Amino acid sequence: MSTVNLQISERRAQRAGGSIGRRSAGLFFVLPAVSFTVVFFILPLIFTVYMSLHDWPLLGDHKFIGLDNYSALLSDRQFWNSLWFTTRYTLLITPVIFILAFVLALLVSLPLPGVGIYRTVYFLPVVIGLGSSSLLWVWLLHDRVGVINAILTGLGVMDRPIIWLADSSYAMTAIIMSVVWKTVGFTMILLMTGMQAIPAELYEAAKVDGANYWARLRYIMMPLLRRTFALALILSVIGSYLGFDQFFIMTAGGPQNSTISVVYWIYKNSFTNFKLGYGASLSIVLLVILVILSVIQLRLLRDETSY
Amino acid sequence: MKKGALLFVVLLMLVASGVSVMTAQDAVTLQMWSRDSNQDFLRELVDMWNADHPNQIELTIIPAADFVTRVGVASAGGEAPDLLPIDLIYVPQFAQAGNLVEIGAFIDALPYADQLSASHVHLGEYDGGRYAVPFAAEGSVLLYNKGLFEAAGLDPEAPPTTWEGIYEAAKAITALGDDNYGFYFSGACAGCNAFTFLPLIWASGGDVLTEDGLSATVDTPEVRAALEFYKRMWDEGLIPPSAQADTGTDFFGAFTTGKIGMVGSGAFSIAILKNDHPDIDFGLTFLPGQEGGISSFAGGDSIAITSSSQHAAEAFEFISWVLSDEIQLQMFAARGQLPLRADLVDNEFSREDPRLITNAEAMNLGKTPYSFVYNQLFNDANGPWLAMIQTAIFQGDVDGAIANGQAGFAAILGE
Repeated sequence: MSTVNLQISERRAQRAGGSIGRRSAGLFFVLPAVSFTVVFFILPLIFTVYMSLHDWPLLGDHKFIGLDNYSALLSDRQFWNSLWFTTRYTLLITPVIFILAFVLALLVSLPLPGVGIYRTVYFLPVVIGLGSSSLLWVWLLHDRVGVINAILTGLGVMDRPIIWLADSSYAMTAIIMSVVWKTVGFTMILLMTGMQAIPAELYEAAKVDGANYWARLRYIMMPLLRRTFALALILSVIGSYLGFDQFFIMTAGGPQNSTISVVYWIYKNSFTNFKLGYGASLSIVLLVILVILSVIQLRLLRDETSY
Repeated sequence: MKKGALLFVVLLMLVASGVSVMTAQDAVTLQMWSRDSNQDFLRELVDMWNADHPNQIELTIIPAADFVTRVGVASAGGEAPDLLPIDLIYVPQFAQAGNLVEIGAFIDALPYADQLSASHVHLGEYDGGRYAVPFAAEGSVLLYNKGLFEAAGLDPEAPPTTWEGIYEAAKAITALGDDNYGFYFSGACAGCNAFTFLPLIWASGGDVLTEDGLSATVDTPEVRAALEFYKRMWDEGLIPPSAQADTGTDFFGAFTTGKIGMVGSGAFSIAILKNDHPDIDFGLTFLPGQEGGISSFAGGDSIAITSSSQHAAEAFEFISWVLSDEIQLQMFAARGQLPLRADLVDNEFSREDPRLITNAEAMNLGKTPYSFVYNQLFNDANGPWLAMIQTAIFQGDVDGAIANGQAGFAAILGE
């Protein structure tokens, strides 16, 4: 009896030792990724938290002030305005990107000749930097030399050119148009890849059962795309909340400070007003908000399906 | 054997001390950082110095948008370069933060100390000390299109000298039609309007800050009059509608279309217009006050020596070389740059193009706001300065604009 017991415990010990070996091998393999994350994310994050507890001017010495930056932030009206503006921008742009990207993904998934060209064309703006594309749109929207005003007046949609970036609602529309143009290709590729991963047999089986195109779309494709939707949604929402270049270049926060996004406000505090400590505290708050939003989205789109 | 060892040690010490003596006399390498505007000229200047001086300069060019951040971070770590040319408006802030070396004694030793651009010298002063001298000069002026002046029946050799004169000329040019407009300014660019709109107020005897830069004087008749002057031209359609949304991307470009009568600009435009737009016949005059008078925003760079430097004397050798007659004339003036000394404004090169003399004169009689919070007051696209201009001109609420402007300035100045 006792020898049996011994044998068992020896085997257990061997197994355990083996798994420690495997674990350390695993650790070894993820080491590059972990060290990258530590150096480029964890350490800067810790330093940002440290800075946020200081009065830290860009020039001159810094001093510890505890949570003063955070309490100042609570009464910073522009910060809350910017947060609300960024939320509104995210709520407006996300469905536009999604619907358009979904339709484009459906179209470029069709087995038609030359469809590869369309995929490339729709994806092309993604490889341009957001800064360059914003500058491009400033000129496209220009009232004297811009092609968009020329087309709209030429078609008789408007009598005279619009100064897009001088009016807050037009400015928002203009920024959304430029960012959708720039990013829709990326979401399209994500969704298309998701669509292509769905096994053809499922559609065939549904077809045999008499499901038409719309039913197959609704009851097979949409549920199975859930994971892809979650990924694309999180990337899109985070991207929108972190929006900066388009506001900095196209409107500089105007007209009448109506398009100041949160990151733009962080930038302004840090590099226009030279208050690095305050900028750091704003960044930490934004990070917390983004983590909460991402967790909510993941929960909502949690997917138990497997195929 | 012991003796031998002792001799060896003594010899070694002698050699070592000789080496250290040689090192002290040896040339040093000075670090210099600069923003990327005007970098070709600067590289040429540094190459010229390096060619016949034992002390060498290593020039690092940094994108303008990152410049202050990089220098701020380096200063905090005691690793700032020896030589630091910076936008002159930042000098008070750098001096206040203790980043710069006091160079008053060096400056006094220059035979032409009293000829240095007054505004640059003033901005270099802090708490009784002097911290910087001029390094690049720029002054705002009024550019005008002589062709359009002639077409509108105006005398191209008699540019406006009052606001009323600008208004009348702008009206006549706009009346030409065909998308021609009399006047232009970048309506959504804070810094551009500090450069071209502030001088209108100064030339009329007003200001938005007190002399010490610590209090706001926005709510004054001169500021109101200047805002009403622009508003009148905007209301009457003498300024193209696109001006309202221009964040500065079209600050100079608008004039190069050949369809703008007048625009506030700087010396930099002379070379660009002559080289890239030879078809535009342009004139250049002073930015006037309401009833006459002239002023200008004296801009450009000042150069300072940072507290991190171990070679202040060597660094100042370079500075005095830059300010010498030879370099000011053969490098600066010969390449269309404004000289940094009042006594060299009129020189063989500027006499070839009197527009350069006008621009240099404008710079020399110009002003620059002295402030430790210049960026927040004047450069912030969402700050009180631009908000005031936009509210007054585009929304037509001059009273509200001035009230908010005064309050916004006072809040930043901590009044």
